[in-house]
Amino acid sequence: MSRYGSVTATSPQEAAEWSTGRVVRSNLRAVVGRAYPRIIGLTREPSWLFFEIVLPFLAVSAFVFVYRALEAPEEFIGFVVLGGAMTAFWLNVVWMMAAQFYWEKDQGNLELYFTAPMHLMSVLAGMAIGGLVMTSSRALAVIGIGSLLYGVTYDIEQPILLAGVFLLTMIPLYGMGMLFASLFLLWGREAFHLAELLQEPIYFLGGVNFPLARLPGAVVGAVMATLPLGVGLDAMRQLAFSSSGVEGVLPVSLEIAILAIMGVLFLIAARMALGYLEHLARREGRLTLRWQ
Amino acid sequence: MAVTDRALPVRGVTLADAWRSFRTAIGLGWAIESNWSDPFLFAIYTMAKPLAAAGILVVMFQVITQGQGNEFLQFLIVGSALWNVVFGVMSGLVQSILEDRERYRMMKYVVVTPSSLFPFLLGRSLARVLLSFVAVVLTMAVGVVFLGVELRPNVLYLVPATLIGVLAVIALGVFMAGWCLQLRQEAWHYPEAIAGALYLVSGAIFPIDVLPNALHPIAYASPTTWWLEASRRGLLGHGSPGALGGLSDGTVMLLLIASTAVAIPLALAAFAWFMRRARQAGLLDMVTGS
Repeated sequence: MSRYGSVTATSPQEAAEWSTGRVVRSNLRAVVGRAYPRIIGLTREPSWLFFEIVLPFLAVSAFVFVYRALEAPEEFIGFVVLGGAMTAFWLNVVWMMAAQFYWEKDQGNLELYFTAPMHLMSVLAGMAIGGLVMTSSRALAVIGIGSLLYGVTYDIEQPILLAGVFLLTMIPLYGMGMLFASLFLLWGREAFHLAELLQEPIYFLGGVNFPLARLPGAVVGAVMATLPLGVGLDAMRQLAFSSSGVEGVLPVSLEIAILAIMGVLFLIAARMALGYLEHLARREGRLTLRWQ
Repeated sequence: MAVTDRALPVRGVTLADAWRSFRTAIGLGWAIESNWSDPFLFAIYTMAKPLAAAGILVVMFQVITQGQGNEFLQFLIVGSALWNVVFGVMSGLVQSILEDRERYRMMKYVVVTPSSLFPFLLGRSLARVLLSFVAVVLTMAVGVVFLGVELRPNVLYLVPATLIGVLAVIALGVFMAGWCLQLRQEAWHYPEAIAGALYLVSGAIFPIDVLPNALHPIAYASPTTWWLEASRRGLLGHGSPGALGGLSDGTVMLLLIASTAVAIPLALAAFAWFMRRARQAGLLDMVTGS
């Protein structure tokens, strides 16, 4: 018979009846278990650290040199460095959240997730927390090296608000990653193409290398309604370069409200998409087939 | 155990064998790249990525110059368009070899066939290379139609520059493919890292004069620098702003030929050595779980 702690179940029915506390503890263990490899990977796979700093940094450097060649004002260099740091989070969301379930299926882990006594949202939450910690180190390195090497000066009047906006941006950003994780899996072999598609076009639409307000109004409107990277970056630029007269799309307070609403909506959408995915997995059984 | 010597002499790979491998691999590469995808999504993917990359540069240019200085914009568009080929070739060759080893686990079977891996690899990656040329044409077309890029093509200069330049880029890709065969999980990142580093030093989107002095020797040694410069002259009728623009057309072509002539034999020798080492170390069927 099944044992849990000091309690021994006397029948399968009794063993299947979990208390709320046991459900919560199991799901928390799943969160920690899924976050663990990403956090511990910081020290176990130093080559990843190298690449994940170097790749965004190379891109940042190229755009810095374009602005230098154009003799742009110095604050634009700072925009690029900040944008480059946020790119690290976006890449993490696309490749290690959105595409993750697809990779898990290829490696044969997905069926284990479905059969384990936990909610898949716990796995996604663990991936998000681990990814956030892992990517923060990369983003800080890009900001640190970029700022030192290219002489970026920041003018931060409200550091706590800036930190708050950053954290608030991460909620819809990773919520979007959770939603995409289910969608990518449903779309099967397109996962790689989709992940590729979500890079340069999103950097363009999100104003990663230039002020978002310079894009046409309709595009900016669509970005403000759908893309947390663009909204968060616009708010952070206004707070990090406050004396430069940087032109934001909306006041920071309004962008904070948009991020908060996006956070709730993306998490709900992710929960619904996972429910649908689980339904499909049980009904059709094709989600465990590799390379599909 | 890794097998390095053959028990019996074999007749060697004929040109017909190589051609058959190359042709079959083209079909396979195209199937993997396109037919397995939804055509609509594939078309969007093929168009959106290069156009967005160029779009970023165009907006940056417009923000700073308010549209003044069309010569620099043309420089940006051509560089951004042509860079698709460098990235397409490098990622095509490397990802083909890694996918066949790690994902589809076919590498060892290809290697033990009578044919050589080399023509298979070239054919397998050709789809991505061709797609990168589609991206070039698209980006240039958008530049001409919407952004006022004025093409003054000099075919006699452009065609040899393109042929030699693409050969140089393929040589770099072959070198990278052999190198990545030696690596573990991080191998997938290498094409992006190397292409990113070359993007920085080759004057793709800014004149190399802007680079720190320490990087100038690398910029001048890279065949991609001379290919981009020669292509700009062949397409636009003038060179880049800055020091490279001051060189004569003949000098640029000569430097492109010289750097390619060095790159090709070095890449082939390195690839042969990498393959030999992969056989000895049993790396051809290594699965890293990445």
